[in-house]
Amino acid sequence: MALHPSEARPFGKSITRKEDPRFIRGKGRYVDDIVLPGMLHMALLRSPYAHAVLKHIDTCAAQGAPGVKLVLTGEDLAKLNLAWMPTLAGDNQMVLATGKVLFQYQEVAAVVAQTRAQAEDALQLIAVEYDALPAVVDPFYATTPEAPILRDDREQKTNSIFHWEAGDRDATENVFADAPVIVSQDVRFPRVHPSPLEPCGCIADYNSATSKLTWYVTSQAPHAHRTVLSLVSGLPEHQIHVISPDIGGGFGNKVPVYPGYVCAIVASLSLGVPVKWIETRTENISSTGFARDYHMHVDVAAEEDGKVLGLRVKTVADHGAFDAAADPTKFPAGLFSIVTGSYNFKAAFVEVDGVYTNKAPGGVAYRCSFRVTEASYLIERAMDVLAQKVGVDAAELRLRNFIQKEQFPYLSPTGWTYDSGDYATTLQKALELIGYDELRKEQAEKRARGELMGIGISTFTEIVGAGPSHTFDIMGIKMFDSAQIRVHPTGKVIARLGVRHQGQGHETTFAQIIAEELGLTADDVLIEEGDTDTAPYGLGTYASRSTPTAGGAAALCGRRVREKAKKLAAHLLEVGEDDVTWDGEKFSAAGLPAKAVTMKDVAFAAYTNLPEGMEPGLEATYYYDPPNLTFPNGAYIAVVDIDKGTGAVSVRRFLAVDDCGRVINPMIVEGQIHGGLTEGFAIAFMQDIPYDEDGNCLAPNWMDYLVPTALDTPRWETARTETPSPHHPIGAKGVGESPNVGSPAAFVNAVVDALSPLGVTHMDMPLSPWKVWQVLREHGVTE
Amino acid sequence: MRTYQGDFTIQSARAKVWAFVIDPNQMGPCIPDLLALDVHSETEFRTLVRVGVGPIRGKFDLTSSLSVAENGRQAALVIKGGGMGSGVDMQAEMTLDDAETGTKLSWQCDVKVSGPIASIGGRLIDNEARKITEKVFANLRDALEADAAESGQSEVASSGE
Repeated sequence: MALHPSEARPFGKSITRKEDPRFIRGKGRYVDDIVLPGMLHMALLRSPYAHAVLKHIDTCAAQGAPGVKLVLTGEDLAKLNLAWMPTLAGDNQMVLATGKVLFQYQEVAAVVAQTRAQAEDALQLIAVEYDALPAVVDPFYATTPEAPILRDDREQKTNSIFHWEAGDRDATENVFADAPVIVSQDVRFPRVHPSPLEPCGCIADYNSATSKLTWYVTSQAPHAHRTVLSLVSGLPEHQIHVISPDIGGGFGNKVPVYPGYVCAIVASLSLGVPVKWIETRTENISSTGFARDYHMHVDVAAEEDGKVLGLRVKTVADHGAFDAAADPTKFPAGLFSIVTGSYNFKAAFVEVDGVYTNKAPGGVAYRCSFRVTEASYLIERAMDVLAQKVGVDAAELRLRNFIQKEQFPYLSPTGWTYDSGDYATTLQKALELIGYDELRKEQAEKRARGELMGIGISTFTEIVGAGPSHTFDIMGIKMFDSAQIRVHPTGKVIARLGVRHQGQGHETTFAQIIAEELGLTADDVLIEEGDTDTAPYGLGTYASRSTPTAGGAAALCGRRVREKAKKLAAHLLEVGEDDVTWDGEKFSAAGLPAKAVTMKDVAFAAYTNLPEGMEPGLEATYYYDPPNLTFPNGAYIAVVDIDKGTGAVSVRRFLAVDDCGRVINPMIVEGQIHGGLTEGFAIAFMQDIPYDEDGNCLAPNWMDYLVPTALDTPRWETARTETPSPHHPIGAKGVGESPNVGSPAAFVNAVVDALSPLGVTHMDMPLSPWKVWQVLREHGVTE
Repeated sequence: MRTYQGDFTIQSARAKVWAFVIDPNQMGPCIPDLLALDVHSETEFRTLVRVGVGPIRGKFDLTSSLSVAENGRQAALVIKGGGMGSGVDMQAEMTLDDAETGTKLSWQCDVKVSGPIASIGGRLIDNEARKITEKVFANLRDALEADAAESGQSEVASSGE
């Protein structure tokens, strides 16, 4: 039962979400809800071809169409030096195509008109002459000598973007040379898309009298977007006001800057009126930041009893036409080197090759911390392949290989220092809660009857919370985060943070953190995010970084306010500062608990009754640079039954035991886990964005790219263990992405486990009924 | 790319069929759902056709170019164009052979589609493309045979079909 936000000492309590009343009642305000006087509407013309020479564009008819105010092409933008823009990954991306097009649905021209319908109609009047070129769809073909070079704008005449390595090659080879057991597996993580309910969009509003640009945009990182925009456009940063209003889901999709944003801004600068651009669903899926698309090969070296020794991973990463991944600068494959997971490997070596293809650009972290989902899925799948090979139960194999509690802080073979964890306890709890031994008995009985039941385990370790700033930056901007707390005379607080929530519940959880530090209730604290004119600078919300970074900043900022409050309390209590104690709700004179003042008393005094020489007011700002990342982890177990006639997989049970350190609001954590599991379920069973041989995107809509409904979604069971992060100010680790990171492997492991009596050792996602049915038919189980 | 092919027999002499298929003014109207035909030369013509594949409906503006590979027997037709943000590239080849009951017309068509019609209508496109192509040749046969009937004489025995 959730509690009201007026609860005292709110930290760790399930209080109701402060943001829910407006969302439930339809009172949220999203970008498309905003209507400004004189606002025009923009639509984009997109390429039908995946790869083609752009021979000629004739916009005359469109320019004369009803309501049309402006038509932009790549040539127009080139005159402004804006035909290309930098991506967050340090590549360049075409804003509107010049010379050639490199993926189907690439942006070719923009039309601005009085209504959206007029803009869309005028698009049809633009005549574009293309000369189709052969498309590069297969990332393995992309780097062969026969493949055409896609990016002739680059100095390097190759489709290779980067080669990246982590770990110790020689040490790993040595381990493999002597290993009694080696298992190998090719594993594909399909191209998926965050596909938020609200697609991307913006309103650019340039005021020619004040020279100020107000940019309303669906942004997970408004400050970073302002800086990028300033650098690209030359507009002074203080004359750009980015407002990221309510966001209908982001999941990483709203981290990059997209061509439509730049076009809307150019249009507003040219016309001096607000210009709105809102994507369609097809535009969102077919052209904005996709995720994954990793072709991985894994080798595991082990003892005969299944104790792991070494890990070797080689991956080809399909980034599409432009490297528009949103990874920290030094990490072109994100934090993929967390691939040793929860296991005590002696040595590991990881290689990733990023390549260009004629597909949509991207490589964003879809509800995961920079390629951690790919890594987790790979190691959790590989552990099951190993378990099958050595004939050891999947749970037992994991228990034999876990990094032990005493080993923390643990230095991984690829260089990460894990902060804390108690993996064996978490898995044991999951095994007990789900009744693992009973389930294995039931499975044995069913197998004897020829029925297909599977149990899948995933005991993942995440790596979240980038910073620290010595290692992590995006385009040179260090990945710290910030909070600013202002206590008003009546003890009410407005706090602003550098992050931007999109469903995570910051307005509640950050209010709880601050209220706890200040002895107030969450109701007393109003959280504001997403306005660059008012909020302190921060890098935004993605990669489960808000609580590890801004959450830390909020707690430390609260303590900074409390320091001054303590001085004021001493003044009010008429005792020395050293004689003032804080019990979490009030300041009192040491030894005299009845002589006490609350934060509200102190706040009033900060404006009305100050000691001699003290600066008035009660506020603070804190920029928190975390000393390390945090490492949330969990043990997930899926139980599935497979229909032999249709290949349909029914997820009978799914238990997620998460350890995300100290929990601020258990209800919100549970909600985050439900959402992430649902997305993980979709990835495992439903989602893929395939391209045909000509580079046509075959799933650019919700008919072909499936999003689960309540009817599809299994019932989720959740539980927790709590191993605090030793370095985080409140011991929290971040959780939003764990369920997406950890669950796909549990689902796939369960299906493979069910099919293992047939000799199946691996299947690639998505495990659609058709794919499972084909396997059943190959093995003579069904006709 | 998709390839479609087929053959059928027209109860008409080969020379007559040939004259028909290389004449844009006669071939053009065989295209189903034709809205406009604009013949530029003996070998070049432009058509505006109504297209509907699944949820995608609208007009395609197509430029066609005819070339003779073997006079009286083999011709190729290249069709290029598109609409509604989609594109189509077709290369059709027709071969005429004398048959017992008239002329056998064999055809093969490589079709490359792009844009939403390929990605959204993709699953439906096979049937639709086959239907359209078959309709083209059905129209052609009907036109030739109607022509033959009007002229009051069948140039070949009509007992075949």
